[in-house]
Amino acid sequence: MPKSATQPAPAIRHADTSLSIRAHDVSKLYRIYDKPFDRLLDLFAPNPKRSREFWALRRVYLDVPKGSTVGIIGQNGAGKSTLLKLLSGVTEPTTGSVHVNGRVTSLIELGAGFHPEFSGRENIALACAILGMSREEVRELAPRVIEFSELGDFIDRPVKTYSSGMYVRLGFAVATCVDPDVLLIDEALSVGDEHFRGKCLTRLNEFRDGGGTTVFVSHDLGAVKSMCQNVVLIDQGEIVEQGAPERVATEYLKRVKARGNERLSMLARGTHEFPRWGSGEIEVHDVQLLGGDGQPTRVLRTGEHAIFRLSYRAHSAVRCPVFGLGIYRSDGTYVCGTNHFWREQPIVLESVEPGEVGEVDMALGAFPLLEGQYYLTTFLYDHSKPAPTAIDHREHALTFQVLDALHHQHGLVYLPAAWAVRRHRAGADAPENLESGR
Amino acid sequence: MIELLRSLHTHGALLRDFVRRDLKARYVGSSMGFFWSLVFPVISLCVYMFVFRTILATRWGDNQPPAQTALTMLAGISVWTAFAETLSRSTNCLVENSNLIQKVVFPSEILPPYLSISALVNMCIGLAIVLVGCVLIDADPAAGWKLAFQPERLSGALVVLPLLMFVQCVFTIGLGYLLATLNLYLRDTYHVIGVATMVWMFATPIFYPAFIVEMRGYGWILDLNPMYWLIEAYRAVIVEAHWPDWKALARFLAASCAVFALGSSFFWSQRRKLPDLL
Repeated sequence: MPKSATQPAPAIRHADTSLSIRAHDVSKLYRIYDKPFDRLLDLFAPNPKRSREFWALRRVYLDVPKGSTVGIIGQNGAGKSTLLKLLSGVTEPTTGSVHVNGRVTSLIELGAGFHPEFSGRENIALACAILGMSREEVRELAPRVIEFSELGDFIDRPVKTYSSGMYVRLGFAVATCVDPDVLLIDEALSVGDEHFRGKCLTRLNEFRDGGGTTVFVSHDLGAVKSMCQNVVLIDQGEIVEQGAPERVATEYLKRVKARGNERLSMLARGTHEFPRWGSGEIEVHDVQLLGGDGQPTRVLRTGEHAIFRLSYRAHSAVRCPVFGLGIYRSDGTYVCGTNHFWREQPIVLESVEPGEVGEVDMALGAFPLLEGQYYLTTFLYDHSKPAPTAIDHREHALTFQVLDALHHQHGLVYLPAAWAVRRHRAGADAPENLESGR
Repeated sequence: MIELLRSLHTHGALLRDFVRRDLKARYVGSSMGFFWSLVFPVISLCVYMFVFRTILATRWGDNQPPAQTALTMLAGISVWTAFAETLSRSTNCLVENSNLIQKVVFPSEILPPYLSISALVNMCIGLAIVLVGCVLIDADPAAGWKLAFQPERLSGALVVLPLLMFVQCVFTIGLGYLLATLNLYLRDTYHVIGVATMVWMFATPIFYPAFIVEMRGYGWILDLNPMYWLIEAYRAVIVEAHWPDWKALARFLAASCAVFALGSSFFWSQRRKLPDLL
C-alpha cells in the first residue's frame, strides 16, 4: 500500500534516517490554575504569578533506532503518557524538539481516538482519514481491519455499545493495519482475551520483523521485559535509567519498593478505621512484616524470605492464648488462615501473666503469593474455653504489596512445579526427554 | 487565517464525512427520521402564530393575510434555528470531541464548519416549505387561505440564496471558532451562550415586524444586529419575491468577514494548545 505524503504535524522528516524517533532535550510544562478565569487573563496579559508550574517532563533525550522495540516504564504519574502524547504529536513540547520518521499510530487507552456515536466501520474510515489516507485506500484496507478485529456484525453498531475487549480489538486492528512506521502502545494489551492477545503478539512480532518501530509503555514489568530490547525508566518526569531490561527493571523495583513503603505506611496509619474487638487482656500492639533482609517492609517479592511479627503486651492473666493470622487479597479473597496451635506440634502458651511482653513470628521460607495487594488480619483468641473467644481480633492490621519480577507464573499463588516433555519422534528408538526442574 | 483555510481544504474529505454522518444521524437515527425536520418547524410555527398573530395581532402589513404572516415567520424561524443550533453546538464541539483531540492528531478546525454546514442543509428544508407555501397559497389579502398556483412568486432574486447561505456560513463558522476556543478557557461560555441566544432571538424581528421596533424608538437595536440584516434578506428573496436590501447585505458581509477573521485567528493561535486545555 502506498504511503501517503501527508503526515501529522510534528512528524518532520529528519536527516538521520537510521533513527525512528529522536527527542532532543524535551520538556513539557503544564500550568495549573486555581481559578479558570486566570487562564483567560493570562492569555492577554501573561503573569506567572497567577499559576503554578508543573513539569510533566524535564530534559528528556530519547533516540530510538529504526526497527527496535523500546519499553517505557514508570509509576503512575511519572510522565509516561505525556511522553507518548509528545511522540504521537498530539501535544507539543514546551522546549526541545521531537522528530518522528514516518507514520505514527497509537493505541492509547480504551476507545481513544474513536467517535462514540460512529459505527466501527465509520471509525475505521475516520482514523484513516485523519492519517491522510484517500477514500480508495480506506476501501481497500477496511476488510482487513474488520477481519482482524473479529467484530462480525458489531462493525456496523456504534462503538459506544462495544465492550472493552471489542474496543481494544478494533483499536489494535486499525493501528496495525494502516501500515505504520512507528507504533505507540500504552497498556492497551492488558485487556482482551487470551486468544486475541496471542494474535496481537504475533502481529507485533511481524511488525517488528518488518522493520517497524514499537514504543511500549507499561508498568507491567513482565510484558516490557519479554518484548523490549531496550527499556527506559521514567520517574517524576525525568529519564533516570535506560538500557538492558534486566538492569532497568531492578532499578524500577527498587524505586517502587521505596515509594511503596512510603505510601503503604500511610495507608496503614488508617487501620484503626477497621474493626477490632476482643476482651483485651492481651493487646497485639504492633504487626510487622519483615522482608528477606530482616527489615520491616510493606513490599515483598515472590519467593522472598518473609516473617510476619506480632508484638504483644499482656494486661491481665490469660490461661491459653493463641495467636494467628489470616492473609487476604485486596479483593477480599481469603488466601490462608493459620495459628501456632493447630499444628502437628502445637505451641501451647500456658498462662500469660500481666506485664508480660513478647513477639510471635510466622516465618515463610519462600513467600508463595504472586503479584498483588494483600492485607493481614490478626487473631488472638482464648482457647481455654470450649469455644475460643476473642482477646484481640484486628481486621486489616497490615496492608502489603507483592511484586513478582520473574513473571514465571500468573494468578494468586506460586506453585513450585517441574515440567517434563517426552517426545516420541518418528524413526527414533527412544523418546527424547526434556525436563525443567523447579 | 490562510493556513486555516488551507488546512480545511486538505481535510475536505474528512469534513464531508462529518457532515454526511451528522445529517444521517439527524434523519436516520430516530424512528421518524426525516419527518422531524418537517414537523419541528411546522409545530413551532403553529405556536408562534397563535401567540403573535392571534393573541397579539402581529402583522407585517395592514391587510396581511394569516398565511403570509405564517410564511414570513417561518422563514425567520428556519434561519434563526439553524444559527442558534450551530452556535450552541459549536461552543461545545471541542469539549465533546475531546476523545479525538486529546488522543490523536485530529484537525479540530473542521468541527465548527461541519456543524454550520449540517445546520444549513437542515435549514434548507424549512426554507423549501416557505417557498412552496409562497407559490401555492394565494397572496391576495382578501383570499385568506385560498390555494392558487402562482409561479410568478418565484422571482429571479432567488439566485441570491446561495450567496446568503455562504455568507451566513462564514458568519456562524467565525462565531463558532471564537466560542469553541473561549469555552476551553471558560467552560461557562456554553451556559452563557444558551441565555444569550434567547435574548438575541427576541431582539431580532422574527415574530414581529421590524417597523414596530423603529416606531418605538429602538431602531438602534436593529442597526447592531447582523442576524436582522440576514433574515430580512432571506424574507425579501423568498417571501416578498424581490431583491434584498443591498446595503444591509453588504453590512452583513462585512460583519461576517470581521467575525470570521477574529474567530479563526483566535482559534488558530490556540490550536496547538487545545489538547492541553481539555
